[in-house]
Amino acid sequence: MKTFLILLLAVPLIVAQDFTVTEANGDVKYRTGTSEEWLEVREGTVFRSDDFVTTEAKSSVRIKSSKNIINLQELTAVSISSIKAMSTDELLLALAMEDMINAPKPNGKNNSSNTAVYGNKEGQNKNPEMKADNFGIKRLNGAMQLAKNGFKESSVVFAKETYRKYPDTKQISSYRIFFADILYEKGLYEEALGEYLDIAKLQLNKEDKFKVESQTQNINKILLNN
Amino acid sequence: MALNFKILPQSSFGLAGYWGLQESVTIAFYNYESNLSNYFGIKDWGISLQYGAEFSGSVNSSLYLLAMAKKLGNHSLSARFTPGYQKEFLFATGESIIINDTTTQSLEANYNYKELFGLGYSYKFDEQFNAGLAVRFFSQDFNQQIVKPVFGDTLYLVRETIGEKVNLWNVDLGFDYILNKNFQFRISSINLINIKDDLAIEEFQGFEMDQKRGALLIASYMPAEFINLHVLYETSNSFQVSATGYSKGFTYGLTAFHDYYQEPYIAGVNPAVGYRTDLFEILLSGVKYFSERNTDASFSRFYEEGINNIINNRYSFDKIVISMALNISGTPEKQVELIDVEIVRDIYPTFYDKYIEQPFAYGRVVNISDKTISVIPSVKIEGITADKIQSPPQTLAPGDTAKVPFYLIIPDKYMIDKATLSYADFYVTASSTEPDAQLQKAALINGMNSWDGNVANLRYFIKRDVDFSMNYSKNVISSNKSVLDTIPSELSAFYKSKIIFNDFVKMLVYTSDPRASAEYVQFPKQTIELKGGDCDDLSVAYSSLLESVGIQTALVDYKEDGEIRHVNVLFNTELDPTQAKYITANDSKYFIRKSEQGNDEIWIPVETTSLTDFDEAWNIGVEKFNREAVNNLGLAAGKVEIIDVY
Repeated sequence: MKTFLILLLAVPLIVAQDFTVTEANGDVKYRTGTSEEWLEVREGTVFRSDDFVTTEAKSSVRIKSSKNIINLQELTAVSISSIKAMSTDELLLALAMEDMINAPKPNGKNNSSNTAVYGNKEGQNKNPEMKADNFGIKRLNGAMQLAKNGFKESSVVFAKETYRKYPDTKQISSYRIFFADILYEKGLYEEALGEYLDIAKLQLNKEDKFKVESQTQNINKILLNN
Repeated sequence: MALNFKILPQSSFGLAGYWGLQESVTIAFYNYESNLSNYFGIKDWGISLQYGAEFSGSVNSSLYLLAMAKKLGNHSLSARFTPGYQKEFLFATGESIIINDTTTQSLEANYNYKELFGLGYSYKFDEQFNAGLAVRFFSQDFNQQIVKPVFGDTLYLVRETIGEKVNLWNVDLGFDYILNKNFQFRISSINLINIKDDLAIEEFQGFEMDQKRGALLIASYMPAEFINLHVLYETSNSFQVSATGYSKGFTYGLTAFHDYYQEPYIAGVNPAVGYRTDLFEILLSGVKYFSERNTDASFSRFYEEGINNIINNRYSFDKIVISMALNISGTPEKQVELIDVEIVRDIYPTFYDKYIEQPFAYGRVVNISDKTISVIPSVKIEGITADKIQSPPQTLAPGDTAKVPFYLIIPDKYMIDKATLSYADFYVTASSTEPDAQLQKAALINGMNSWDGNVANLRYFIKRDVDFSMNYSKNVISSNKSVLDTIPSELSAFYKSKIIFNDFVKMLVYTSDPRASAEYVQFPKQTIELKGGDCDDLSVAYSSLLESVGIQTALVDYKEDGEIRHVNVLFNTELDPTQAKYITANDSKYFIRKSEQGNDEIWIPVETTSLTDFDEAWNIGVEKFNREAVNNLGLAAGKVEIIDVY
């Protein structure tokens, strides 16, 4: 019985030791598990693995884990569980899971791989005007912050989840290119190519278009040589 | 009179020679002489006749034999009428009378030996062993002229004929042992049982057929269909050697026989050639003796030596015989053999249509015909199916062996409380309505509540009580109509699910499986009536209640939740991701799935064992789902599976 109690107490302690706020500036909040309430983050706040942290404009937070320190800039939202180092194999597994989740239900009458955003018809790829405090964009910012703090693999996974929950954000090419570049950088050429080809369907500016075409050609060459 | 007179009722000599136990020839069924076990290869009915001519100076033709045979499963029956199996002897008795004009008139005797008819029966115990018997009826007519004194005014002599008819029944047994395709052995009795009339007239004593007992031994070596070799040995020290064959419809044979009672050592041969199809057989055979044949001999010699066979003796002549046989079959020839059947899945009656897609057994079949055939497997299970359930046909090339699946349909109304041991009859049919082969296997039929532990199969429990679930859910919805009417239609599925859950759980308690195993699942009606159940039962019931009012559900199978699996429910709110804010401000509390049309829809995990209220069940369900299915990549690793009910 004693052992059981010690274990029960030890689990949150281990988690608490992993993610502690060392610095919080401005309006920084967090949400625990399934709670719908946002709580203020202060220095010394200890996060659970199923917590979610978000920063408003002109705000930032520094979170220290047992091995790393992560700085989240303004207008970001990140789940604590995504602050983790992943191997490329784990990333591939996560990408496979995304493909599985995004596949239409089996035995359906329409098995097309339509990736159009809900409510829009395919081809209507105008960049939506989204507010900077849109939670989906905050999540993408958070994903970028993860990448910049060295959690590149988990940043892609977090971004993918964001695209699933906030389909409109898929229209923003700059984020898409950022995460596709990570896949390219990690040598996941086929996965990166799929992303670039999908991004190419969006209405891109000259710079993004050049970037996407250039990366597509590079990958094609690499794949041909292999 | 001497008592060593030898007229044996039969020996192994046949007018067409010996042909062995070949399935491909029909001679056997009327050739009792060497087939006392009565084994024959015809499939159903056989009719045959033998017509021939004997070259005894003049040519005398006669109908030797008419025969009929019938096969009934492992039983074989035959009957034959043998008007040509007879031998008549005319003698001058050596006595004579002098008539008034001094002319002399010799007295004559006439002995006629006949085999009139025979009956045969055989039983095939297995592929290696047959046993049978042959019963034959013989008749012996003895007539002799004698001189009888008549006393009157003067003594004078009159010529008179005395006669007697003696009938004889003869029964013999035969046994066949087929070691393999190459070696076959037979043993038969000779004169095992004889039942005869008593002979009353002294003059005919000693001229009856001999009843000496003996045995016939036969060995066959059949290295190929086109060449079979046979040796027949009788304990009377007679023997035959025979070579027969069959190729491309043609049959051919040559039998040489040594007869202890005839000269030379090889007394003669039976050459034969013929042609056969599945329907008929025609065979031209003959008997050629190597010794001079005499039409007459002295009565004293006949008296001394006798004869040893009605149709084959020193007074027999060369013969030519044509044999014709019809193989009439009401049932087609067997084309496929069912070697073995393996039942690969236990039968769970609740999974009524599962065995339409996944065979529950496989059989090994072999095409034993010489053409490509279409084999239809079918199965009938005592107590479940009234008729045979057919599986898709399989095409088999000649000689090919294949694995054929047996599918099954379990009737909707079938009910069984407890597991029962039944019998499954497996059939394979090639060309007719009647099966070519069948096998019976014991099969365990599980009870209606039995489950194989595969979460995907819980859907059968969900679907089965749909009428009950519909009534229940509609009643709940009706009683909450005023609330639902105020809710936007887009949120209808979410709030219906919530209301039904809250109504459903208020009277339930979570109980572990009553049979302490994961193999018993309650139907929704049982769970509600029993007011409780385990995770399987509660998930099945909640899913059924939602599905019955058109709300899509899926079961979440947590395959490694400790040692026991766990199951809970996901349901489709039919909301798109932009509408999530209407049900929650926390984007961790839902899961996005694509619909059949490719649209993103919000699905919510619900822990059905959390019997407080919907919100609590949702929170617990989503925490577990996010942790194990998403964050730990359980969905990708196969540790968590989402199984759509429809």
